[in-house]
Amino acid sequence: MPAYLHPTTLAEAFESLGEGTETRYLAGGTDLIVQLRDGFIAPDALMDVKALPELQGIKTTEEALEIGAAASCGQLLASEHVGYGCTVLKQAASTLANSLLRNRATLIGNLCNASPGADMAPASLVLQGVLTTVSPGGGRTIELRDFFTGVKKHVLEPNELVTKISFPLTKGRGIYLKKRRIHGHDLAQVGVAGFHDTDGSFRLALGAVATTPLLLDDFGRLSTTELASQREEIVAEAVGAAKPISDIRASKEYRLAMVRLFTERIVDAFANETEVQR
Amino acid sequence: MTTKSLHLTVNGEVYDAFVSENATLLTFLRDVLGLTGTKEGCGAGECGACTVILNGLPVNSCMVLALECEGAEVRTIESEYQNGELSNLQQAFIEYNAFQCGFCTPGMIMSARALLEANPHPSRDDIREAMEGNLCRCTGYDSIIAAIESVGVSAS
Ligand SMILES: Cc1cc2nc3c(=O)[nH]c(=O)nc-3n(C[C@H](O)[C@H](O)[C@H](O)COP(=O)(O)OP(=O)(O)OC[C@H]3O[C@@H](n4cnc5c(N)ncnc54)[C@H](O)[C@@H]3O)c2cc1C
Ligand code: FES
Ligand code: FES
Repeated sequence: MPAYLHPTTLAEAFESLGEGTETRYLAGGTDLIVQLRDGFIAPDALMDVKALPELQGIKTTEEALEIGAAASCGQLLASEHVGYGCTVLKQAASTLANSLLRNRATLIGNLCNASPGADMAPASLVLQGVLTTVSPGGGRTIELRDFFTGVKKHVLEPNELVTKISFPLTKGRGIYLKKRRIHGHDLAQVGVAGFHDTDGSFRLALGAVATTPLLLDDFGRLSTTELASQREEIVAEAVGAAKPISDIRASKEYRLAMVRLFTERIVDAFANETEVQR
Repeated sequence: MTTKSLHLTVNGEVYDAFVSENATLLTFLRDVLGLTGTKEGCGAGECGACTVILNGLPVNSCMVLALECEGAEVRTIESEYQNGELSNLQQAFIEYNAFQCGFCTPGMIMSARALLEANPHPSRDDIREAMEGNLCRCTGYDSIIAAIESVGVSAS
């Protein structure tokens, strides 16, 4: 049975990390408590990081939207700081589980759990998120595009703690489309996020179709007319990048068909400057 | 078994207790405080039978450790019945036949209570969204939504 630690400062947090013992950081607990309950993990300690000052709040600076690791998806949905292009985060958060779980589940916990189907990953990738971390030995920034390495795997060192994620402020337009079996109760069968920036940059990110969420950002800058004329190439690139498996949620073929459909809908919405078909 | 002290308020009463480090808020409420109105369905965040209001927000009490509630204010279904009278939501659930076995009802009512506090006149869509995390295997939901809507409509 893991010990429960509840530090209120980073110094205290790092001091209480035991030598040779495994400590898991606890945010909303909506992944961790299920994994503990089912015996998938058996750490020596759970460290509740929600009271650490460095992890608090959602704010905008001159250049970036910053979301602290203690901020829940419910807080994200209610935050007036999450506006303009960054509203794609709200579209994604509104599909994550249901309103009860969203009052606990954090955006950073969703990323750190590193599920290939994590709903916040595609939206955070197209917005070019950058994580800030601290460790007993220092700290660093990690571009989210370099973060995921496999199913439930990422580049964090043991005991490295994410404090926040920053998104460059943008007035572009983002869309997140999610296919699931039951509203409010299912992980994505497929999730696709698209972003069209004011300078024409176009990016796509795919969830639940490979061992990690995928970012596709080599399309360059495209006007709305170019988006329309290159629709088939863009769709082919998205479908080509997807390497889904068949599992209890969907077959491989269905997932590929949904990547095609969602990419078409996103490109059409950007090209024609219309509402996306959901 | 290691226990730690916990200080919190439940339904307006202050408690100082010792709880096991891995106890959930749900087991603490049921097994330590004897507040068995809150139910355990799945124990894994799926069904909402364990919904309580934690610091004003509805949550699945099976997904919260008791020790995470240090200093917190918790409300459970037992807070609905006051001075010998059922609450407006409890009455509406009876009036609209919004339950059969009743296992989901405490969670349904706590989710609905949190919704009505945030939004006293919710639309049907607001109700559907707020109740997404509460499953019912008996009623088919329509009567539950109608019951909650009726309380919203009659609120001043
Ligand atoms: C019924 C149910 C439905 C769900 N539906 C969805 C869904 O639709 N879509 C979806 O994407 N997910 C879903 N989930 C999964 C889960 O709710 C999300 O992944 C959630 O965002 C996790 O956040 P958390 O704060 O609860 O993380 P926690 O459980 O606290 O942590 C998750 C992992 O991240 C690590 N971690 C947390 N914070 C940090 C940090 N600051 N630094 C370093 N590591 C950290 C933890 O140690 C742990 O390994 C669902 C879960 C349940 C139980
Ligand atoms: S018992 Fe908590 S959600 Fe089912
Ligand atoms: S009344 Fe039986 S589960 Fe809802």
